[in-house]
Amino acid sequence: MAQKEYDTFILTELSQFPEDQEMEMIVRNLMPADRRYKYRSFYATAMISKSESKYPDRLWVRLGRGQLQEKPWSIKIIKEVNKFG
Amino acid sequence: MAYKFYKDNREFIEALKANNDLVTIEQEVDWDLEMGAIVRRVCEKKSASPYFKRIKDYPGFEAFGAPLSTYKRLAIAMGMNPDASVPEISNEYVKRTTGDPIKSILVDKKKAPCKENIWTGKDADLFKLPGPMVHDGDGGRYLATWHFVVSKDLDTEFVNWGMYRQMVFDEKTMVGPVLPFSDMGKMFYGKYVPKNKPMPFATVIGCDPLSGVAACAPSPIPEDEFTGMLMGAPVELVKCETNDLYVPAYAEIIIEGEVIPGIQIDEAPFGEYTGYRTSPREPRTVYRVTAITFRNNPIVTVSNMGVPTDEGQLLRSFSLGLEMRKLLESQGIPITGVYMLPESTHHLVVVGVRPAYSGIASQIANLVFGSKLSPWFTMVVVVDNETDIYNKDEVIHALCTKCHPIRGIRKYEQAPGTPLYPFADPEERKWSRGSQVLFDCTFPLSWPKSDLPIKVSFNNVYPKEVQEKVLKNWKSYGFKD
Ligand SMILES: Cc1cc2nc3c(=O)[nH]c(=O)nc-3n(C[C@H](O)[C@H](O)[C@H](O)COP(=O)(O)O)c2cc1C
Repeated sequence: MAQKEYDTFILTELSQFPEDQEMEMIVRNLMPADRRYKYRSFYATAMISKSESKYPDRLWVRLGRGQLQEKPWSIKIIKEVNKFG
Repeated sequence: MAYKFYKDNREFIEALKANNDLVTIEQEVDWDLEMGAIVRRVCEKKSASPYFKRIKDYPGFEAFGAPLSTYKRLAIAMGMNPDASVPEISNEYVKRTTGDPIKSILVDKKKAPCKENIWTGKDADLFKLPGPMVHDGDGGRYLATWHFVVSKDLDTEFVNWGMYRQMVFDEKTMVGPVLPFSDMGKMFYGKYVPKNKPMPFATVIGCDPLSGVAACAPSPIPEDEFTGMLMGAPVELVKCETNDLYVPAYAEIIIEGEVIPGIQIDEAPFGEYTGYRTSPREPRTVYRVTAITFRNNPIVTVSNMGVPTDEGQLLRSFSLGLEMRKLLESQGIPITGVYMLPESTHHLVVVGVRPAYSGIASQIANLVFGSKLSPWFTMVVVVDNETDIYNKDEVIHALCTKCHPIRGIRKYEQAPGTPLYPFADPEERKWSRGSQVLFDCTFPLSWPKSDLPIKVSFNNVYPKEVQEKVLKNWKSYGFKD
Protein backbone atom coordinates (compact mmCIF):
# COMPACT_ATOMS: atom_id res chain seq x y z
CA MET A 1 0.00 0.00 0.00
CA ALA A 2 1.31 3.44 -0.91
CA GLN A 3 2.71 5.48 1.92
CA LYS A 4 0.34 8.11 3.26
CA GLU A 5 1.31 11.51 4.60
CA TYR A 6 0.04 13.32 7.65
CA ASP A 7 1.20 16.24 9.72
CA THR A 8 0.72 17.38 13.28
CA PHE A 9 1.50 20.40 15.45
CA ILE A 10 3.73 19.77 18.45
CA LEU A 11 3.79 22.44 21.13
CA THR A 12 6.10 20.78 23.63
CA GLU A 13 9.85 20.32 23.47
CA LEU A 14 10.43 17.97 20.51
CA SER A 15 13.26 16.09 22.21
CA GLN A 16 10.90 15.06 24.99
CA PHE A 17 8.08 13.94 22.74
CA PRO A 18 7.21 10.29 23.56
CA GLU A 19 7.87 7.68 20.87
CA ASP A 20 6.67 4.12 20.36
CA GLN A 21 3.68 4.28 22.63
CA GLU A 22 0.00 4.52 21.87
CA MET A 23 -1.27 8.05 22.28
CA GLU A 24 -4.10 10.28 21.16
CA MET A 25 -3.25 13.20 18.93
CA ILE A 26 -4.70 15.41 16.21
CA VAL A 27 -3.30 14.75 12.74
CA ARG A 28 -4.12 16.21 9.33
CA ASN A 29 -4.42 14.09 6.23
CA LEU A 30 -2.15 15.53 3.51
CA MET A 31 -2.84 12.91 0.83
CA PRO A 32 -6.53 11.98 0.78
CA ALA A 33 -7.91 10.09 -2.19
CA ASP A 34 -10.16 13.07 -2.94
CA ARG A 35 -7.99 16.21 -2.89
CA ARG A 36 -10.86 18.32 -1.62
CA TYR A 37 -10.33 16.64 1.76
CA LYS A 38 -6.69 17.69 2.09
CA TYR A 39 -5.92 19.03 5.60
CA ARG A 40 -8.90 17.23 7.12
CA SER A 41 -8.05 16.92 10.83
CA PHE A 42 -8.96 14.06 13.09
CA TYR A 43 -8.17 12.67 16.51
CA ALA A 44 -6.23 9.43 16.18
CA THR A 45 -4.80 6.79 18.44
CA ALA A 46 -1.35 6.39 16.94
CA MET A 47 2.24 5.37 17.49
CA ILE A 48 4.97 7.62 16.26
CA SER A 49 8.72 7.49 15.81
CA LYS A 50 11.29 10.13 15.03
CA SER A 51 12.75 7.66 12.59
CA GLU A 52 11.33 8.23 9.14
CA SER A 53 11.17 4.51 8.34
CA LYS A 54 9.90 2.84 11.52
CA TYR A 55 6.14 3.13 10.91
CA PRO A 56 4.23 2.82 7.64
CA ASP A 57 3.21 6.43 7.06
CA ARG A 58 5.06 9.72 6.99
CA LEU A 59 4.42 12.37 9.64
CA TRP A 60 5.52 15.95 9.11
CA VAL A 61 5.97 18.00 12.24
CA ARG A 62 5.11 21.64 12.69
CA LEU A 63 5.71 23.80 15.77
CA GLY A 64 3.11 25.99 17.45
CA ARG A 65 3.42 28.90 15.00
CA GLY A 66 3.38 26.58 11.98
CA GLN A 67 7.16 26.18 11.53
CA LEU A 68 7.71 23.04 9.44
CA GLN A 69 10.53 20.81 10.69
CA GLU A 70 12.97 19.68 8.04
CA LYS A 71 12.89 15.92 8.61
CA PRO A 72 9.66 13.93 8.72
CA TRP A 73 8.90 11.36 11.40
CA SER A 74 6.81 8.21 10.89
CA ILE A 75 3.40 7.23 12.20
CA LYS A 76 1.11 4.22 12.52
CA ILE A 77 -2.52 5.23 12.85
CA ILE A 78 -4.32 2.64 14.95
CA LYS A 79 -7.77 4.17 14.82
CA GLU A 80 -9.64 7.41 14.31
CA VAL A 81 -11.33 8.66 17.48
CA ASN A 82 -14.73 10.31 17.10
CA LYS A 83 -15.21 12.99 19.74
CA PHE A 84 -18.80 13.74 18.85
CA GLY A 85 -20.45 10.31 19.27
CA MET B 1 -33.86 57.72 2.06
CA ALA B 2 -31.74 54.92 0.67
CA TYR B 3 -28.13 55.72 -0.14
CA LYS B 4 -26.51 54.13 -3.15
CA PHE B 5 -25.59 50.63 -1.99
CA TYR B 6 -24.99 47.12 -3.32
CA LYS B 7 -27.38 44.46 -2.12
CA ASP B 8 -24.87 41.67 -2.74
CA ASN B 9 -21.26 41.03 -3.67
CA ARG B 10 -22.22 40.39 -7.29
CA GLU B 11 -23.36 44.01 -7.69
CA PHE B 12 -20.31 45.19 -5.72
CA ILE B 13 -17.97 43.21 -8.00
CA GLU B 14 -19.57 44.93 -11.01
CA ALA B 15 -19.08 48.32 -9.35
CA LEU B 16 -15.40 47.58 -8.71
CA LYS B 17 -15.01 46.50 -12.32
CA ALA B 18 -16.60 49.74 -13.51
CA ASN B 19 -14.10 51.64 -11.35
CA ASN B 20 -11.07 49.73 -12.66
CA ASP B 21 -10.59 48.16 -9.26
CA LEU B 22 -11.07 44.48 -10.12
CA VAL B 23 -8.92 41.84 -11.81
CA THR B 24 -10.96 38.91 -13.14
CA ILE B 25 -8.75 35.82 -13.10
CA GLU B 26 -10.01 33.29 -15.64
CA GLN B 27 -7.14 30.82 -15.28
CA GLU B 28 -7.54 28.06 -12.70
CA VAL B 29 -6.15 28.94 -9.28
CA ASP B 30 -5.35 26.48 -6.47
CA TRP B 31 -7.23 26.92 -3.18
CA ASP B 32 -4.13 25.42 -1.53
CA LEU B 33 -1.94 28.52 -0.94
CA GLU B 34 -1.99 30.02 -4.45
CA MET B 35 -5.22 31.95 -3.93
CA GLY B 36 -4.00 33.11 -0.49
CA ALA B 37 -0.65 34.23 -1.92
CA ILE B 38 -2.40 36.30 -4.61
CA VAL B 39 -4.64 38.00 -2.06
CA ARG B 40 -1.67 38.64 0.23
CA ARG B 41 0.28 40.35 -2.56
CA VAL B 42 -2.80 42.38 -3.47
CA CYS B 43 -2.98 43.66 0.12
CA GLU B 44 0.71 44.51 0.25
CA LYS B 45 0.67 46.28 -3.13
CA LYS B 46 -2.78 47.82 -2.65
CA SER B 47 -3.76 46.27 -6.01
CA ALA B 48 -7.24 45.74 -7.41
CA SER B 49 -9.45 43.01 -5.91
CA PRO B 50 -8.96 39.59 -7.51
CA TYR B 51 -12.10 37.80 -8.72
CA PHE B 52 -11.28 34.10 -9.16
CA LYS B 53 -13.48 32.41 -11.76
CA ARG B 54 -12.02 28.88 -11.57
CA ILE B 55 -10.87 27.17 -8.40
CA LYS B 56 -8.97 23.87 -8.59
CA ASP B 57 -11.06 20.87 -7.44
CA TYR B 58 -14.17 23.04 -7.09
CA PRO B 59 -15.90 23.59 -10.44
CA GLY B 60 -18.88 25.92 -10.14
CA PHE B 61 -17.42 27.89 -7.22
CA GLU B 62 -15.79 31.31 -7.48
CA ALA B 63 -13.90 33.51 -5.02
CA PHE B 64 -13.50 37.23 -4.39
CA GLY B 65 -10.34 38.40 -2.63
CA ALA B 66 -9.48 41.51 -0.62
CA PRO B 67 -12.99 42.93 -0.97
CA LEU B 68 -12.46 46.03 1.14
CA SER B 69 -8.76 46.47 1.72
CA THR B 70 -8.54 50.09 0.52
CA TYR B 71 -10.39 53.31 1.31
CA LYS B 72 -11.31 53.50 -2.38
CA ARG B 73 -13.22 50.22 -2.12
CA LEU B 74 -14.84 51.39 1.12
CA ALA B 75 -15.96 54.60 -0.62
CA ILE B 76 -17.39 52.55 -3.50
CA ALA B 77 -19.16 50.22 -1.05
CA MET B 78 -20.75 53.27 0.57
CA GLY B 79 -21.88 54.57 -2.81
CA MET B 80 -19.53 57.54 -2.57
CA ASN B 81 -17.05 59.05 -5.00
CA PRO B 82 -14.22 56.48 -5.23
CA ASP B 83 -11.71 59.27 -4.62
CA ALA B 84 -13.41 60.53 -1.46
CA SER B 85 -10.87 61.44 1.23
CA VAL B 86 -10.64 59.60 4.55
CA PRO B 87 -12.22 62.53 6.46
CA GLU B 88 -15.07 62.63 3.93
CA ILE B 89 -15.73 58.89 4.26
CA SER B 90 -15.44 59.17 8.04
CA ASN B 91 -17.90 62.04 8.29
CA GLU B 92 -20.38 60.23 6.04
CA TYR B 93 -20.08 57.08 8.16
CA VAL B 94 -20.62 59.02 11.39
CA LYS B 95 -23.59 60.86 9.88
CA ARG B 96 -25.27 57.66 8.70
CA THR B 97 -24.66 55.75 11.91
CA THR B 98 -25.83 58.34 14.42
CA GLY B 99 -29.46 58.46 13.30
CA ASP B 100 -32.20 55.97 14.08
CA PRO B 101 -31.45 52.27 13.56
CA ILE B 102 -33.27 50.73 10.59
CA LYS B 103 -35.00 47.44 11.34
CA SER B 104 -34.48 44.58 8.92
CA ILE B 105 -37.34 43.04 6.98
CA LEU B 106 -38.07 39.37 6.40
CA VAL B 107 -38.42 37.86 2.97
CA ASP B 108 -39.92 34.61 1.82
CA LYS B 109 -37.51 31.71 1.34
CA LYS B 110 -38.58 31.46 -2.30
CA LYS B 111 -37.26 34.99 -2.88
CA ALA B 112 -33.95 34.42 -1.12
CA PRO B 113 -31.08 33.53 -3.46
CA CYS B 114 -29.09 32.01 -0.57
CA LYS B 115 -31.65 29.17 -0.60
CA GLU B 116 -31.03 28.17 -4.21
CA ASN B 117 -29.14 25.09 -2.96
CA ILE B 118 -29.68 23.36 0.36
CA TRP B 119 -27.44 20.66 1.82
CA THR B 120 -28.44 18.92 5.02
CA GLY B 121 -27.41 15.67 6.74
CA LYS B 122 -24.38 13.99 5.22
CA ASP B 123 -24.48 16.41 2.29
CA ALA B 124 -23.67 19.33 4.58
CA ASP B 125 -19.96 18.65 4.25
CA LEU B 126 -17.52 21.55 4.71
CA PHE B 127 -14.98 20.04 2.31
CA LYS B 128 -17.43 20.47 -0.52
CA LEU B 129 -16.80 24.22 -0.18
CA PRO B 130 -13.48 25.69 -1.43
CA GLY B 131 -12.07 26.77 1.92
CA PRO B 132 -8.62 28.16 1.13
CA MET B 133 -5.35 27.28 2.83
CA VAL B 134 -4.60 30.95 3.29
CA HIS B 135 -1.00 30.93 4.57
CA ASP B 136 1.56 28.13 4.61
CA GLY B 137 1.73 26.88 8.20
CA ASP B 138 -1.85 27.72 9.16
CA GLY B 139 -3.58 25.21 11.42
CA GLY B 140 -6.14 24.43 8.75
CA ARG B 141 -8.25 25.76 5.93
CA TYR B 142 -10.08 28.93 6.88
CA LEU B 143 -13.44 29.04 5.19
CA ALA B 144 -14.49 32.06 7.16
CA THR B 145 -12.05 34.94 6.76
CA TRP B 146 -14.43 37.71 5.65
CA HIS B 147 -17.86 36.73 6.87
CA PHE B 148 -19.89 36.97 10.04
CA VAL B 149 -21.41 34.67 12.60
CA VAL B 150 -25.04 35.22 13.64
CA SER B 151 -26.06 34.19 17.16
CA LYS B 152 -28.86 35.06 19.55
CA ASP B 153 -28.81 35.70 23.26
CA LEU B 154 -30.25 32.90 25.40
CA ASP B 155 -32.58 35.12 27.48
CA THR B 156 -33.28 38.15 25.31
CA GLU B 157 -34.03 38.95 21.68
CA PHE B 158 -30.52 40.37 21.19
CA VAL B 159 -28.94 39.11 17.97
CA ASN B 160 -25.24 39.55 17.25
CA TRP B 161 -23.37 39.57 13.96
CA GLY B 162 -19.64 39.35 14.55
CA MET B 163 -16.58 38.38 12.60
CA TYR B 164 -14.96 35.42 14.35
CA ARG B 165 -12.58 33.39 12.21
CA GLN B 166 -13.42 29.73 11.60
CA MET B 167 -11.06 26.91 10.63
CA VAL B 168 -12.38 23.73 9.04
CA PHE B 169 -11.55 20.78 11.27
CA ASP B 170 -13.50 17.96 9.60
CA GLU B 171 -16.59 17.53 7.41
CA LYS B 172 -18.93 18.78 10.13
CA THR B 173 -16.73 20.77 12.47
CA MET B 174 -15.24 24.25 12.50
CA VAL B 175 -13.23 25.79 15.31
CA GLY B 176 -12.10 29.31 16.15
CA PRO B 177 -11.32 31.83 18.87
CA VAL B 178 -14.17 33.75 20.44
CA LEU B 179 -12.64 36.33 22.73
CA PRO B 180 -14.37 36.46 26.13
CA PHE B 181 -15.12 40.19 25.94
CA SER B 182 -16.74 40.00 22.47
CA ASP B 183 -20.52 39.99 22.22
CA MET B 184 -20.60 36.36 21.13
CA GLY B 185 -18.07 35.44 23.83
CA LYS B 186 -20.31 36.96 26.49
CA MET B 187 -23.37 35.20 25.04
CA PHE B 188 -21.86 31.76 24.66
CA TYR B 189 -19.46 31.54 27.59
CA GLY B 190 -21.63 33.71 29.86
CA LYS B 191 -25.03 32.14 29.22
CA TYR B 192 -25.13 28.97 27.12
CA VAL B 193 -22.09 27.23 28.59
CA PRO B 194 -23.18 27.51 32.26
CA LYS B 195 -26.47 25.83 31.25
CA ASN B 196 -24.61 23.33 29.05
CA LYS B 197 -26.77 24.35 26.08
CA PRO B 198 -25.57 24.34 22.47
CA MET B 199 -25.91 27.78 20.87
CA PRO B 200 -27.41 27.96 17.36
CA PHE B 201 -25.24 29.84 14.87
CA ALA B 202 -25.23 30.78 11.19
CA THR B 203 -22.03 31.76 9.39
CA VAL B 204 -22.64 34.15 6.52
CA ILE B 205 -19.98 33.98 3.81
CA GLY B 206 -20.04 36.41 0.89
CA CYS B 207 -22.34 38.99 2.43
CA ASP B 208 -22.90 42.37 0.79
CA PRO B 209 -20.03 44.78 1.52
CA LEU B 210 -21.82 46.97 4.09
CA SER B 211 -22.94 43.99 6.20
CA GLY B 212 -19.27 43.06 6.38
CA VAL B 213 -18.38 46.59 7.48
CA ALA B 214 -21.08 46.43 10.17
CA ALA B 215 -20.11 42.97 11.41
CA CYS B 216 -16.60 44.03 12.29
CA ALA B 217 -17.64 47.43 13.65
CA PRO B 218 -17.72 47.75 17.43
CA SER B 219 -21.09 49.51 17.59
CA PRO B 220 -23.66 48.86 20.32
CA ILE B 221 -26.42 48.98 17.68
CA PRO B 222 -27.46 45.48 16.45
CA GLU B 223 -25.36 44.93 13.35
CA ASP B 224 -28.25 44.20 10.96
CA GLU B 225 -29.86 47.54 11.91
CA PHE B 226 -26.45 49.21 11.68
CA THR B 227 -26.12 47.83 8.14
CA GLY B 228 -29.55 49.29 7.41
CA MET B 229 -28.29 52.69 8.60
CA LEU B 230 -25.27 52.47 6.30
CA MET B 231 -27.56 51.51 3.40
CA GLY B 232 -30.36 53.89 4.32
CA ALA B 233 -32.65 50.92 3.71
CA PRO B 234 -33.61 47.77 5.60
CA VAL B 235 -31.56 44.60 5.20
CA GLU B 236 -33.57 41.68 3.78
CA LEU B 237 -33.33 38.63 5.98
CA VAL B 238 -34.51 35.04 5.61
CA LYS B 239 -34.95 32.26 8.18
CA CYS B 240 -32.39 29.47 8.47
CA GLU B 241 -33.26 25.86 7.65
CA THR B 242 -32.23 24.16 10.87
CA ASN B 243 -32.54 26.87 13.51
CA ASP B 244 -34.48 30.09 14.21
CA LEU B 245 -31.80 32.55 13.18
CA TYR B 246 -32.14 34.97 10.26
CA VAL B 247 -29.50 35.65 7.62
CA PRO B 248 -29.15 38.10 4.70
CA ALA B 249 -31.15 36.76 1.76
CA TYR B 250 -28.56 37.77 -0.85
CA ALA B 251 -25.51 36.23 0.85
CA GLU B 252 -23.55 33.65 -1.11
CA ILE B 253 -23.17 30.82 1.44
CA ILE B 254 -24.76 30.14 4.83
CA ILE B 255 -23.38 27.52 7.20
CA GLU B 256 -25.86 26.63 9.95
CA GLY B 257 -25.22 24.69 13.10
CA GLU B 258 -24.56 24.76 16.83
CA VAL B 259 -21.71 26.04 18.96
CA ILE B 260 -20.97 23.19 21.34
CA PRO B 261 -20.40 23.63 25.09
CA GLY B 262 -18.13 21.33 27.05
CA ILE B 263 -15.62 20.63 24.31
CA GLN B 264 -12.82 22.63 22.74
CA ILE B 265 -10.54 21.64 19.88
CA ASP B 266 -7.07 22.89 18.94
CA GLU B 267 -7.20 25.79 16.51
CA ALA B 268 -4.57 27.97 14.81
CA PRO B 269 -1.89 29.03 14.20
CA PHE B 270 -3.17 31.59 11.72
CA GLY B 271 -1.84 34.79 10.17
CA GLU B 272 -3.44 37.44 12.33
CA TYR B 273 -4.45 41.08 12.15
CA THR B 274 -1.17 42.24 13.68
CA GLY B 275 0.74 40.89 10.67
CA TYR B 276 2.13 37.97 12.68
CA ARG B 277 1.18 34.45 13.64
CA THR B 278 1.12 35.11 17.35
CA SER B 279 -1.63 33.42 19.30
CA PRO B 280 -0.69 29.81 19.94
CA ARG B 281 -2.42 26.71 18.71
CA GLU B 282 -4.75 25.96 21.58
CA PRO B 283 -8.21 24.58 22.38
CA ARG B 284 -10.91 26.92 21.08
CA THR B 285 -14.66 27.20 20.41
CA VAL B 286 -16.28 24.37 18.41
CA TYR B 287 -18.99 24.80 15.77
CA ARG B 288 -20.89 21.72 14.46
CA VAL B 289 -22.64 22.03 11.13
CA THR B 290 -26.27 21.05 10.46
CA ALA B 291 -26.89 22.61 7.03
CA ILE B 292 -25.24 24.55 4.22
CA THR B 293 -27.30 26.70 1.86
CA PHE B 294 -25.89 28.65 -1.08
CA ARG B 295 -26.56 30.55 -4.28
CA ASN B 296 -25.91 29.05 -7.66
CA ASN B 297 -22.21 29.47 -8.52
CA PRO B 298 -21.42 30.83 -5.07
CA ILE B 299 -18.60 33.31 -4.55
CA VAL B 300 -16.50 32.72 -1.44
CA THR B 301 -14.84 35.81 0.05
CA VAL B 302 -11.17 35.58 0.97
CA SER B 303 -9.39 38.01 3.24
CA ASN B 304 -5.73 37.46 3.99
CA MET B 305 -4.58 38.84 7.29
CA GLY B 306 -0.91 39.72 7.41
CA VAL B 307 1.23 42.83 7.21
CA PRO B 308 -0.81 45.95 6.34
CA THR B 309 -3.14 46.56 4.74
CA ASP B 310 -5.99 44.07 4.68
CA GLU B 311 -9.69 44.80 5.17
CA GLY B 312 -9.64 43.74 8.80
CA GLN B 313 -6.97 46.33 9.59
CA LEU B 314 -8.57 49.01 7.44
CA LEU B 315 -12.14 48.61 8.62
CA ARG B 316 -11.45 47.82 12.25
CA SER B 317 -9.19 50.88 12.43
CA PHE B 318 -11.83 52.95 10.69
CA SER B 319 -14.77 51.89 12.85
CA LEU B 320 -12.88 51.64 16.15
CA GLY B 321 -11.51 55.16 15.64
CA LEU B 322 -14.92 56.56 14.76
CA GLU B 323 -16.68 54.79 17.64
CA MET B 324 -14.06 56.41 19.88
CA ARG B 325 -14.77 59.78 18.25
CA LYS B 326 -18.46 59.35 19.14
CA LEU B 327 -17.58 58.47 22.72
CA LEU B 328 -15.21 61.43 23.20
CA GLU B 329 -17.68 63.83 21.58
CA SER B 330 -20.50 62.51 23.76
CA GLN B 331 -18.35 63.43 26.77
CA GLY B 332 -17.92 66.98 25.50
CA ILE B 333 -14.13 66.72 25.01
CA PRO B 334 -13.07 69.42 22.51
CA ILE B 335 -11.56 67.00 20.03
CA THR B 336 -10.94 67.95 16.43
CA GLY B 337 -10.94 64.37 15.15
CA VAL B 338 -9.91 60.78 15.73
CA TYR B 339 -7.95 58.67 13.26
CA MET B 340 -6.72 55.16 13.78
CA LEU B 341 -3.92 54.26 11.42
CA PRO B 342 -4.63 51.03 9.50
CA GLU B 343 -0.85 50.54 9.26
CA SER B 344 -0.80 50.34 13.06
CA THR B 345 -3.03 47.23 12.79
CA HIS B 346 -5.46 49.21 14.93
CA HIS B 347 -3.02 49.56 17.79
CA LEU B 348 -2.41 53.28 17.50
CA VAL B 349 -5.08 55.95 17.53
CA VAL B 350 -4.42 59.62 16.91
CA VAL B 351 -6.72 62.07 18.67
CA GLY B 352 -6.65 65.72 17.68
CA VAL B 353 -7.71 68.15 20.40
CA ARG B 354 -7.90 71.83 21.23
CA PRO B 355 -5.81 71.77 24.41
CA ALA B 356 -8.34 73.80 26.35
CA TYR B 357 -7.23 72.74 29.84
CA SER B 358 -4.39 70.91 31.55
CA GLY B 359 -4.58 67.12 31.68
CA ILE B 360 -6.79 66.85 28.60
CA ALA B 361 -4.57 64.17 27.03
CA SER B 362 -4.81 62.02 30.15
CA GLN B 363 -8.55 62.49 30.22
CA ILE B 364 -8.74 61.26 26.63
CA ALA B 365 -6.51 58.27 27.33
CA ASN B 366 -8.53 57.38 30.44
CA LEU B 367 -11.71 57.35 28.36
CA VAL B 368 -10.16 55.32 25.55
CA PHE B 369 -8.53 52.81 27.88
CA GLY B 370 -11.56 52.70 30.18
CA SER B 371 -14.03 51.94 27.40
CA LYS B 372 -15.42 48.58 26.36
CA LEU B 373 -13.19 48.77 23.31
CA SER B 374 -9.99 49.23 25.29
CA PRO B 375 -8.32 45.88 24.40
CA TRP B 376 -8.14 47.06 20.79
CA PHE B 377 -6.31 50.28 21.68
CA THR B 378 -2.74 49.99 22.85
CA MET B 379 -1.36 53.41 21.98
CA VAL B 380 -3.08 56.78 22.11
CA VAL B 381 -1.30 59.72 20.52
CA VAL B 382 -2.87 63.07 21.45
CA VAL B 383 -1.93 65.94 19.16
CA ASP B 384 -3.05 69.56 19.15
CA ASN B 385 -5.04 71.17 16.35
CA GLU B 386 -1.84 72.24 14.59
CA THR B 387 -1.31 68.63 13.45
CA ASP B 388 -3.28 66.99 10.65
CA ILE B 389 -4.31 63.69 12.24
CA TYR B 390 -4.69 62.02 8.82
CA ASN B 391 -1.15 62.91 7.76
CA LYS B 392 1.26 60.24 8.98
CA ASP B 393 4.30 62.46 8.42
CA GLU B 394 2.84 65.22 10.55
CA VAL B 395 1.84 62.78 13.28
CA ILE B 396 5.32 61.27 13.43
CA HIS B 397 6.81 64.75 13.49
CA ALA B 398 4.59 65.74 16.41
CA LEU B 399 5.31 62.48 18.23
CA CYS B 400 9.04 62.92 17.93
CA THR B 401 9.19 66.61 18.77
CA LYS B 402 6.34 67.47 21.10
CA CYS B 403 6.07 64.36 23.23
CA HIS B 404 8.47 64.57 26.16
CA PRO B 405 10.22 61.16 26.40
CA ILE B 406 9.43 60.95 30.10
CA ARG B 407 6.71 63.42 31.08
CA GLY B 408 4.77 62.97 27.85
CA ILE B 409 4.42 59.23 28.17
CA ARG B 410 2.03 57.56 30.61
CA LYS B 411 1.80 53.82 30.98
CA TYR B 412 -1.30 51.85 31.84
CA GLU B 413 -0.71 48.39 33.24
CA GLN B 414 -2.93 45.42 34.10
CA ALA B 415 -5.32 46.22 31.26
CA PRO B 416 -7.54 43.69 29.48
CA GLY B 417 -5.81 42.45 26.34
CA THR B 418 -5.87 39.67 23.77
CA PRO B 419 -3.63 36.65 23.12
CA LEU B 420 -2.80 38.20 19.76
CA TYR B 421 -0.32 40.90 20.80
CA PRO B 422 3.10 40.12 19.29
CA PHE B 423 4.81 42.27 21.97
CA ALA B 424 3.27 40.42 24.91
CA ASP B 425 5.15 37.69 26.75
CA PRO B 426 3.73 34.15 26.83
CA GLU B 427 2.22 34.62 30.30
CA GLU B 428 0.49 37.87 29.26
CA ARG B 429 -0.87 36.18 26.14
CA LYS B 430 -2.12 33.20 28.11
CA TRP B 431 -4.17 35.44 30.41
CA SER B 432 -5.06 38.03 27.75
CA ARG B 433 -3.34 40.77 29.74
CA GLY B 434 -2.64 44.06 28.01
CA SER B 435 -0.58 47.19 28.56
CA GLN B 436 -1.31 50.60 27.11
CA VAL B 437 0.45 53.88 26.64
CA LEU B 438 -0.39 57.53 26.09
CA PHE B 439 1.87 59.80 24.05
CA ASP B 440 0.90 63.36 24.93
CA CYS B 441 2.02 65.58 22.05
CA THR B 442 0.54 68.80 23.37
CA PHE B 443 2.70 71.51 24.92
CA PRO B 444 1.83 72.14 28.58
CA LEU B 445 -0.50 75.12 29.08
CA SER B 446 1.71 76.29 31.95
CA TRP B 447 4.55 77.25 29.60
CA PRO B 448 4.85 81.02 29.06
CA LYS B 449 3.67 82.02 25.58
CA SER B 450 7.08 83.48 24.77
CA ASP B 451 8.71 80.07 25.39
CA LEU B 452 6.41 78.12 23.06
CA PRO B 453 8.30 76.63 20.12
CA ILE B 454 6.93 77.88 16.82
CA LYS B 455 6.28 75.33 14.09
CA VAL B 456 8.34 76.20 11.05
CA SER B 457 6.22 75.28 8.06
CA PHE B 458 5.12 76.96 4.85
CA ASN B 459 1.66 77.49 6.28
CA ASN B 460 2.88 78.79 9.61
CA VAL B 461 5.80 81.18 9.19
CA TYR B 462 5.00 83.20 6.06
CA PRO B 463 2.53 86.04 5.72
CA LYS B 464 -0.60 85.15 3.83
CA GLU B 465 0.24 87.36 0.88
CA VAL B 466 3.64 85.66 0.44
CA GLN B 467 2.04 82.24 0.60
CA GLU B 468 -0.55 83.24 -1.99
CA LYS B 469 2.06 84.69 -4.30
CA VAL B 470 4.21 81.57 -4.12
CA LEU B 471 1.24 79.31 -4.72
CA LYS B 472 0.05 81.39 -7.65
CA ASN B 473 3.46 81.38 -9.32
CA TRP B 474 4.42 77.79 -8.47
CA LYS B 475 4.06 76.45 -11.99
CA SER B 476 5.64 79.51 -13.59
CA TYR B 477 8.71 79.07 -11.34
CA GLY B 478 9.08 75.76 -13.20
CA PHE B 479 7.71 73.26 -10.65
CA LYS B 480 5.64 70.43 -12.11
CA ASP B 481 3.86 69.20 -8.95
C1 LIG C 1 -11.20 39.50 9.68
C2 LIG C 1 -11.51 39.56 11.16
C3 LIG C 1 -11.38 38.41 11.94
C4 LIG C 1 -11.68 38.45 13.30
N1 LIG C 1 -11.59 37.31 14.03
C5 LIG C 1 -11.94 37.30 15.32
C6 LIG C 1 -11.92 36.09 16.05
O1 LIG C 1 -11.57 35.03 15.53
N2 LIG C 1 -12.33 36.13 17.35
C7 LIG C 1 -12.74 37.30 17.95
O2 LIG C 1 -13.12 37.25 19.14
N3 LIG C 1 -12.75 38.48 17.29
C8 LIG C 1 -12.36 38.50 15.99
N4 LIG C 1 -12.37 39.67 15.28
C9 LIG C 1 -12.80 40.90 15.95
C10 LIG C 1 -14.33 40.98 16.00
O3 LIG C 1 -14.88 40.80 14.72
C11 LIG C 1 -14.80 42.29 16.51
O4 LIG C 1 -14.51 42.40 17.86
C12 LIG C 1 -16.25 42.59 16.19
O5 LIG C 1 -16.55 43.88 16.60
C13 LIG C 1 -17.24 41.60 16.77
O6 LIG C 1 -17.31 41.71 18.12
P1 LIG C 1 -18.58 42.30 18.91
O7 LIG C 1 -19.79 41.64 18.35
O8 LIG C 1 -18.27 41.94 20.31
O9 LIG C 1 -18.58 43.81 18.68
C14 LIG C 1 -12.07 39.66 13.91
C15 LIG C 1 -12.19 40.80 13.13
C16 LIG C 1 -11.91 40.77 11.78
C17 LIG C 1 -12.04 42.02 10.99
